Amino acid sequence: MNDYPQILFKNRVVGETAFIDRFRANGGYQGLEKGLREMTPQEITATVKASGLRGRGGAGFPTGVKWSFFPADQPVEKFLVINGDEMEPGTYKDRQLLLADPHQLIEGVILSAFALQVSHAYIFIRYAYEECSRNLEQAIAEAKEAGYLGRDILGTGWDLEIHLHRSAGRYILGEETAQLNGIEGVRPNPRSKPPFPAAKGLWGKPTNVNNIETIACIPHIITGGPGWFINLGITQGGVGTKLFGLSGHLNRTECFELPVGIPLREVVETFGGGVRNGKGFKACLPGGASTPFLTAQHLDTPMDFEPLEQLDSRFGTAGVTVFDETTCMVGATLNLIRFFARESCGWCTPCRDGLSFVQWILEEIEAGRGNRDQIAMLKDQKKNITGRSFCALAEGAMGPLDGLLRHFEQELEDHVKLGRCPFGD
Amino acid sequence: MPTLTIDNKSITVPDGTNVLEAAQRLGIVIPHFCYHEALGAVGACRLCAMMFEEGPVKGLQMACMVTAQDGMQISTLHPEAQELRSHVIEWMMLNHPHDCPVCDEGGECQLQDMTIAGGHGRRRYAGKKRTWINQDLGPFVVQEMNRCIQCYRCVRTYQDYCGGDDFGVMGSRNRLFFGRFQPGKLESPFSGNLVDVCPTGVFTDKTFRFKTRYWDIEEAPAVCPHCSLGCTVIPGARYRELQRVRAGVNRQTNGFFICDRSRFGYGYANHRERIRQPNCQGAATSWREALEHLKERLGKVVNEYGPLSVAIVGSPRSSLECQALLREWTREHGYRPPLFEIDNRRDRTARILAAGLGKQARSMAEIADSDCLVMLGSDPLNEAPLLALAIRQAVRNGCHVTCLDPRAVKLPCAASHLPVQPEQLLPAINGLVANRFEEFERQDQLFLEGAAERLGRAERPVLVGGGDLLGPEGTEALLKAARSLNAGLFVTLGGPNSYGGALLSEDGPDSEEMIEAALEGEIKALFCIEADPLTEGPARSARALGQLELLVVCDHMVNRTARSADIFLPTTAPPEAAGTYINNEGRMLPFGGAYAPGLPLRDIGEGGHPPRTFSNITTGGEPRPAWAILATLLQRPLDFDSIHHGLESDPHFAGLGLLSPGGEGRRVTDAGMLPPAAQPEFPHSAPEGSLPLLVVEALFGTEPLSSLSPALEPVIPEAAVQLHPTTAARLGISDGETVSLRTELEHLRLTARTEAEMVPGLLVAYRLRGTPLELLPVGKITPCLLEKGGNDA
Amino acid sequence: METVNQTTGKDVLLPDDTIEAFRAKAADTPHPRELIVDLLRAIQDHHGWVPDAGIELAAQTLGLSPLQLEEIATFYDKIYRQPVGRKVIHLCDSICCWTTGGEQVAELLRDKLGIGFGETTPDGVFTLLPTCCLGACGDAPAMMIGLTTYGRLTAEKIDTILREIRQQID
Ligand SMILES: Cc1cc2nc3c(=O)[nH]c(=O)nc-3n(C[C@H](O)[C@H](O)[C@H](O)COP(=O)(O)O)c2cc1C
Ligand code: SF4
Ligand code: FES
Repeated sequence: MNDYPQILFKNRVVGETAFIDRFRANGGYQGLEKGLREMTPQEITATVKASGLRGRGGAGFPTGVKWSFFPADQPVEKFLVINGDEMEPGTYKDRQLLLADPHQLIEGVILSAFALQVSHAYIFIRYAYEECSRNLEQAIAEAKEAGYLGRDILGTGWDLEIHLHRSAGRYILGEETAQLNGIEGVRPNPRSKPPFPAAKGLWGKPTNVNNIETIACIPHIITGGPGWFINLGITQGGVGTKLFGLSGHLNRTECFELPVGIPLREVVETFGGGVRNGKGFKACLPGGASTPFLTAQHLDTPMDFEPLEQLDSRFGTAGVTVFDETTCMVGATLNLIRFFARESCGWCTPCRDGLSFVQWILEEIEAGRGNRDQIAMLKDQKKNITGRSFCALAEGAMGPLDGLLRHFEQELEDHVKLGRCPFGD
Repeated sequence: MPTLTIDNKSITVPDGTNVLEAAQRLGIVIPHFCYHEALGAVGACRLCAMMFEEGPVKGLQMACMVTAQDGMQISTLHPEAQELRSHVIEWMMLNHPHDCPVCDEGGECQLQDMTIAGGHGRRRYAGKKRTWINQDLGPFVVQEMNRCIQCYRCVRTYQDYCGGDDFGVMGSRNRLFFGRFQPGKLESPFSGNLVDVCPTGVFTDKTFRFKTRYWDIEEAPAVCPHCSLGCTVIPGARYRELQRVRAGVNRQTNGFFICDRSRFGYGYANHRERIRQPNCQGAATSWREALEHLKERLGKVVNEYGPLSVAIVGSPRSSLECQALLREWTREHGYRPPLFEIDNRRDRTARILAAGLGKQARSMAEIADSDCLVMLGSDPLNEAPLLALAIRQAVRNGCHVTCLDPRAVKLPCAASHLPVQPEQLLPAINGLVANRFEEFERQDQLFLEGAAERLGRAERPVLVGGGDLLGPEGTEALLKAARSLNAGLFVTLGGPNSYGGALLSEDGPDSEEMIEAALEGEIKALFCIEADPLTEGPARSARALGQLELLVVCDHMVNRTARSADIFLPTTAPPEAAGTYINNEGRMLPFGGAYAPGLPLRDIGEGGHPPRTFSNITTGGEPRPAWAILATLLQRPLDFDSIHHGLESDPHFAGLGLLSPGGEGRRVTDAGMLPPAAQPEFPHSAPEGSLPLLVVEALFGTEPLSSLSPALEPVIPEAAVQLHPTTAARLGISDGETVSLRTELEHLRLTARTEAEMVPGLLVAYRLRGTPLELLPVGKITPCLLEKGGNDA
Repeated sequence: METVNQTTGKDVLLPDDTIEAFRAKAADTPHPRELIVDLLRAIQDHHGWVPDAGIELAAQTLGLSPLQLEEIATFYDKIYRQPVGRKVIHLCDSICCWTTGGEQVAELLRDKLGIGFGETTPDGVFTLLPTCCLGACGDAPAMMIGLTTYGRLTAEKIDTILREIRQQID
């Protein structure tokens, strides 16, 4: 069914994990050999930059550009951190990757660490992904055994140690600077930027943070070359493939590797098998819980950064959560806001208290106790929270509220008018 | 130096100033909570929003997080900025209880102010509020967590600034608890600062609870009288009762904070045993009669024995005005030159410092800015607590601290400590100059060479000394060292105005000479002005005082000498009158009186009635400032200002008249004089098997005024003798055991405490007031015998 | 789950050799705080939850104050600072599970276990807690018991899972 090139999921057999033998048999660690034996760190960074790869952790920052800011040539202690927090609702792609093919990440980490000339990399894994942690532990041990990790790797004179940090819950640790605090063992509130981690990260030392999927792309870019990678995308400007995690009211809620730029309709209908129980499509979160809703009118949008931004939404993590026509969008938004309010780190006021205020207003409306003033209040809360918080968590929380207000204000009005939820069961 | 425009007003600010600070300089006060000058900006509360209209930064920003840059055009009145601020206040108020009527913070609550300023007046949130169970945080601070607005100031003060590790923030999201792991006393000696930094009523002063509304309190900026650092404090009184002390701001000395001794040690002023009426031979009398009686008896002594039979002991607790009049009085009548410190060691130390400090003087602000500190015989947390905070700030900025001390010096920051014998301090100082440490063991030599090397490399090195342990010789050596190493010098002294006394003593005689004269019978009348020779003086003082025909004591506290006075004249306590102190770096710091003395109403109110006789004197209002008593004796007008300004005729004090209470003060201009050569000390043959005992100050329980404060009772340490575990083992003594300690004159029973970080072979005890330990001179070695048990005591 | 020290008869928070291993690591790193989360998790794995004594033990092992440990322990939602049953059920209440009947599953679990969220069954076997997204969105509705995730929950599936766990425990 999926005829698109499978790069990251090349070795994927659902229910199985490819360890070193199968990984190598399928061409694993060739990118590493090439990168370390034939390329300089600068060349690797240049190649990644040329590939146009954008971060897969949600913000979509061009990876090569980020690396080029990193003081790779400075002889100071520096770190690479791999972000495997993946706690944004609707996002479960990194898990699939680690369940299927942990060495792919390890190879990417080694190549990236070489490009950035760091000798210590931390892989940060969320609490719920214990299987992934175990896979990684085994993969690290195997890679060490095979001479890909440790001292003087492949005779380059360069050393690398990979540390695994198992977290203990909380979405905010996905935010890169909070994650650094989490690894250091201090309270995981985000840090102010600037200074950016590239200047002052772990223990004040230059640190580069990338998402798991981002790093997993690196070996492929090195073996296949930037041109090949760019051509994997099917939109103008769309680059590479992307793991799409489908969820919600779809017939098939699985994770697929699809080209960047694939139309939303194809994702929903072909891969998701259409909306469950023959119901109509009402809306979806295109890229995780913090991305504003899209509606049926947007189904032909290519799933890529720019086209989605033009719709005032975001590509995010490409976790597509679909809602059928019977869904109460006020209820859905309330659920999302509750998540963000609960996961606020508590550092800044708009997030810590503003989100609970929004939650309360939505609860009132959803329960039929709301009034028109409160709909106006929602708008003005959104205006005053968006862009006003310390980190992007609260801003993300405003994504679904923004979608609700733009596309489903009528549902809010209906709740108020009826004095109950019109979709109530 | 960027120039920017805020609300159409232009200002040029130093590099690195943030926009919130720049606005404050223009007098534009924007609501803010998380920013605090001492703590810096963290951008958490999101209240200080301003609109950046033109220039390098655009849009709505948190002013505290933006560094001022050239060409910025900023509006604080932009509707979007105002709108956000009102929202932030509304969010903060979601869970805040409406308990202002019963909240101690009412009236001085920044949240009240900011709520009004933020334009939030009507509560739109009608959901449940989160509530907390409070913790008991000990005798000083009350917690009322429901009032918390999560500005994080408390934890940033307690942990980051003060280095405490038993108070912090727990939980996450909108369930944040600021407190301890378990209920219990806050361990930091700076815990009271929570009261000042908390912008609302979460942390309030337990000793002040439910006493007074802010607008009813009488306050004036003052200088803390409990050590020599000269921290600015603001004592507050109501109904003639000193009810609290809060921190004042002095960027050169204490910055924004004070220690708990300063804050909670105020009870001496309200002490029930304070004698508030003049008395002769123990019988209360009027001022007029007392002064007449005094003149008559003094006249008799002078007639019979001549003016040199009159001696005066002043004190480092007295104001400079009092000290200066004292000197004038002795000069006018030809009495013996006054002493300003009966403790000879402290007296000589202060005079040597005042004579030599000069350009080497450093302030606490400069210590906080130092890149290399070497501490010699200094235990700041016990001797001068705020110094420890200055040192901590230096360390936070990358300074290296070396500490040479016999004691187990604890600091709220990292330091390398080398335990040395008290008599090794001098060779260590000299060694730092010559970079030779032959007298030390190999291991210690390496340590000291490292310290010397760092000192040599440093750009802003400061030598920090403890006057008590260094003594005159050590201080002299340290002065020389500072000069030759081109390092700053900071030496703590015995009392709040030791430096003033030292300057005024000039090269006058020291207390040895005076005591000898008294023992010889040359002195017949002794005036003690806020001094207590029977406690602070050498053991011979008792015999010397026994020879007198007249003992006059002017003081506000009852002490040994006051109890045996022929004539007692009550003086005001420091917060009750204006004056000037000169701190240990030579900084002149004037203060104003916060309130007039009088018997606290709450004491009178206890069932009894105020006296029904009509009088224009407040009940218990007789105490007079010591300077006023002297002015009366000198027949000068009772005009503080003229006396204060008159001090400027002494070139040391040039510029004093321009200073105002609560300001930063300024250093004295001229050096003091060296004391006369010291009498050679008789080598005291230590008895067989004796151990050296070093008596030192403690944070609580040893400083004379605060030790009288009931609020501090729960924190006064046990009477103990500390010794190194190896010493204890040699004596067969274990930790916690009761031991008997015998000096030449005293026999005490104390608890033995082993302390691994102190130097072996030495005994250390705190000079606890109200115990026989208070009679042992501080900083000096007393030989003593230590035995197990001590049941025969 | 609780191991009892044979000589003292007391609950053991963590075996001595594990404590020693942490102590050694702490001595070996310039920043022992790095080990806080690992150590808290180790105590929890061993003891089921982290009691006050566990915080104190961790603090002492790493040379920190109990408060410093508590500041971290109370931030994370998967560190239990209150007693829990032998198996903690984390039922996801985030959006994907909500769309696929998560609320009904919650109802079901409450009925079957006879407890509400935040409560422990009288036999001490299960504690029921809500959790945010488990990263099992494709398999919603989902829950995690201990460290094992179960997806596509139905009434029958839940019955089987609970039964099997009860059997394992007996
Ligand atoms: C609240 C919040 C949560 C985040 N969670 C994650 C996450 O779980 N995984 C992730 O890779 N990035 C997450 N991010 C983004 C990271 O901060 C960071 O941008 C990313 O790890 C960079 O990697 P990339 O450039 O490879 O995407 C989160 C950001 C925010 C503000
Ligand atoms: S927006 Fe503020 S409170 Fe929310 S997670 Fe970020 S820093 Fe913490
Ligand atoms: S003072 Fe600027 S955000 Fe708090």
